[in-house]
Amino acid sequence: MAKILLVSDNNDKIKHYDEILSKFSHEFMFATDNQMFLDSIEVEAVNIIVLDASSKSIDLPQLYRKINSIKDNVITVVLLKDDKIPPELLNISDAFLTEPVADNILLSTINVNLRRKESLVRLATSNQNLSKSLYQLDVLYNLGSQLSATLDKEKLINIMLEGLDKALGFSVACVLTFKSNNEPLLIINSINQISDRLLEALKLRAVLNYKSLFENKEMPFELNIDDLKTIKYAKNPIDDYDFSILRYDTMFAQINLSENFFGFVEIYRENSFTNEDAQCFHTIAQQVSMPLKNSSYVQEIQEKNARLHYLEHMKSEMISLVSHELRTPITPLKTSLQIISSGRAGEVTPNMAKFLGMANKNIESFSKIINDLLDMSKIEAGKMDYKFTSTNVEKLIEFVKLQQTNVAESKGLNLTTHFDDKFVTVFADSSRLQQVLNNLLSNAIKFTNAGGTIDISTKVVDASEIKTPECFADEVKNLEGKYLQVCVSDDGIGIEEENLPKIFDQFQQVESSLSREVGGTGLGLPIVRKMLDAHNGAIWAESEVNEGSKFYFVLPVSTDKSNFWILHKQLIQQAKVNKTKFVTLSMSASGDVIENLLKEDNLINRTYLNNSVIVNEDGRTTLTMVIPDATACVVDFLKRKIDTVVLNDKARYGKCDIMYSYATYPKEKD
Amino acid sequence: MKKILLVDDEQDIVETLKFVLEAEGYTCFCAYNGEDGLKLAKEIIPDLMVLDVMMPKINGFKISRLLKYDAKYKNIPIIMLTARSQDSDKQIGEETGADVCITKPFDLDEVVLTVAKLLKEKENN
Repeated sequence: MAKILLVSDNNDKIKHYDEILSKFSHEFMFATDNQMFLDSIEVEAVNIIVLDASSKSIDLPQLYRKINSIKDNVITVVLLKDDKIPPELLNISDAFLTEPVADNILLSTINVNLRRKESLVRLATSNQNLSKSLYQLDVLYNLGSQLSATLDKEKLINIMLEGLDKALGFSVACVLTFKSNNEPLLIINSINQISDRLLEALKLRAVLNYKSLFENKEMPFELNIDDLKTIKYAKNPIDDYDFSILRYDTMFAQINLSENFFGFVEIYRENSFTNEDAQCFHTIAQQVSMPLKNSSYVQEIQEKNARLHYLEHMKSEMISLVSHELRTPITPLKTSLQIISSGRAGEVTPNMAKFLGMANKNIESFSKIINDLLDMSKIEAGKMDYKFTSTNVEKLIEFVKLQQTNVAESKGLNLTTHFDDKFVTVFADSSRLQQVLNNLLSNAIKFTNAGGTIDISTKVVDASEIKTPECFADEVKNLEGKYLQVCVSDDGIGIEEENLPKIFDQFQQVESSLSREVGGTGLGLPIVRKMLDAHNGAIWAESEVNEGSKFYFVLPVSTDKSNFWILHKQLIQQAKVNKTKFVTLSMSASGDVIENLLKEDNLINRTYLNNSVIVNEDGRTTLTMVIPDATACVVDFLKRKIDTVVLNDKARYGKCDIMYSYATYPKEKD
Repeated sequence: MKKILLVDDEQDIVETLKFVLEAEGYTCFCAYNGEDGLKLAKEIIPDLMVLDVMMPKINGFKISRLLKYDAKYKNIPIIMLTARSQDSDKQIGEETGADVCITKPFDLDEVVLTVAKLLKEKENN
């Protein structure tokens, strides 16, 4: 039934139209002035306004403004005296009728417009429903991506509740779940605070719900109301919810992980749920189970990982501890034997000497094994310290050769060396480098039979010239610039092709009757490799069974430009660790000033040039050097010396423009 | 006769060092922990000390530092025995005033030679 309002100041017309319209089942009202019209509009939900445009005593413009403001909700039919339509009415009216109006025309005009209005309302409602569904879909979609982004169980439940809140707008939501230790947990999200007795009621309800789920079946977890822990979140902590909540409409869904029960969710809302709401609710509850399943896997993996880390740590600790404990008795053992064999404790018979020698030899190898284990555990823990200095590798080689000459000769081996003509230094920890050389040389001695030859050679190579067997290609692929290549070659038993790639891996002593015979921890080469890594070097090997093996390693040459900055970085790193001092000094001049200065005797300390680089650019030569254990004073001193030389030899230097820049590590304060 | 003070909590090491050094004609005094070592050093003012780093109560670094900062004892040469695993020991040893650091396990002849060298240097000064 529609409400029709006639606006006219003519009582006859009102009477006339009342008669016509009362035949309908519509409600008829009239207004004879502006105030009456406004009152009717405010109080009654008017559907149709029939406006007499010829009313004289009514303020029509004011009326039009009011109609304009409500024109979307009201049908306006205008009664005109003639065919002329007032322009201000064109936009706000639905129909124009010229008086006198035939009854049937008036009725049909009203009917048509009413039907149109009804259709519009229906359309708007379905539109609204559609946008609600779209919003729920949108929430579902977002929820899906949010859920897949996290694997933390509690977070997942929170995201699910958030999604439910957005899509359905609940008053209270309860989630029952079990923690990893099977402890039951009830999470309650609500708009208002939950009263104590309501909390008890919700707990009881959760327990009953849970038990009813497994009425005839075995329950996956024990659930006792006294053990049930609760977590409450309330958006509005001031107001309380009480028992009235239990009369609200509810929805309930079980959350499963594959076949297993994970928990359930129940939501309460004052407005009853529609079918679409129910669908949305169940979809959300289902959506959460997938990431939950993943999260339980992730948790399992994380636990196992943590356990592995712990074991790895324990292994390192254990090795370190055991080796320390094993090493303590070595010193007195060794010294005691030494006292006896030196004759200090009395005369030594040849038989005694033989067995003392045996004991000594075994103590040596025993302490080597322990040292290897300690080194490895230190390297693995990242606790190995390196003290980098400019090092002459050839000198080190000669020293190591001297150390092992006795052993080699006693085995009937020939030790030779071949060095590159170029005199180069590398930036290295000499004691570690010595360890590397010792290791490679003693290996060569170990695996070479009497009469064989072991040769150690050095050569300066460019990174592009380095050739390795295919299995070691990765070791050298990142090298750049000039390197000193050291090769320890023997004509011993060699290594089988399939074993070659494994020789630098931990605990991988190549299995063969011969290698078993010579023994060892198999840690020597892995340690060597780790040490060379720390030097920005590389190691690889070539070998043929019964022909011999060649072990190569390379170290960056410290005078090479591209290596200079690597070394520079190392120096800074080292200065930070060891708290040592050094200065980086750059001198630049045009022409051949720098070259000439370098030729001067006793001007620039030769050792400075060990860690230096010369760059020629745009006609200027720049010499950059790193001066270890120095402060800014050294720079001042050097500057003064150079100034004197330049002033004294005007013929050579003329007006030269030497520019200095330097940096001290650590930074010095003025 | 030169007096040498040996301080190490490992009795076996002290024993062997004592045996060898006495055979070389030195008089040896022994202490088996840092506290006794420091007390004995102040009491007898030895010509030289052999000092272990890792010891209960007072460690070798501390003893070395205490002695080297005291005018009365700063001329006593100190040989520090360090563990190989702690490379930093050597550095700290030198910083705390030890004259020579020898890593364990050591060579007895090395110790004997170092003792002789340090005593000779001290005499020349």
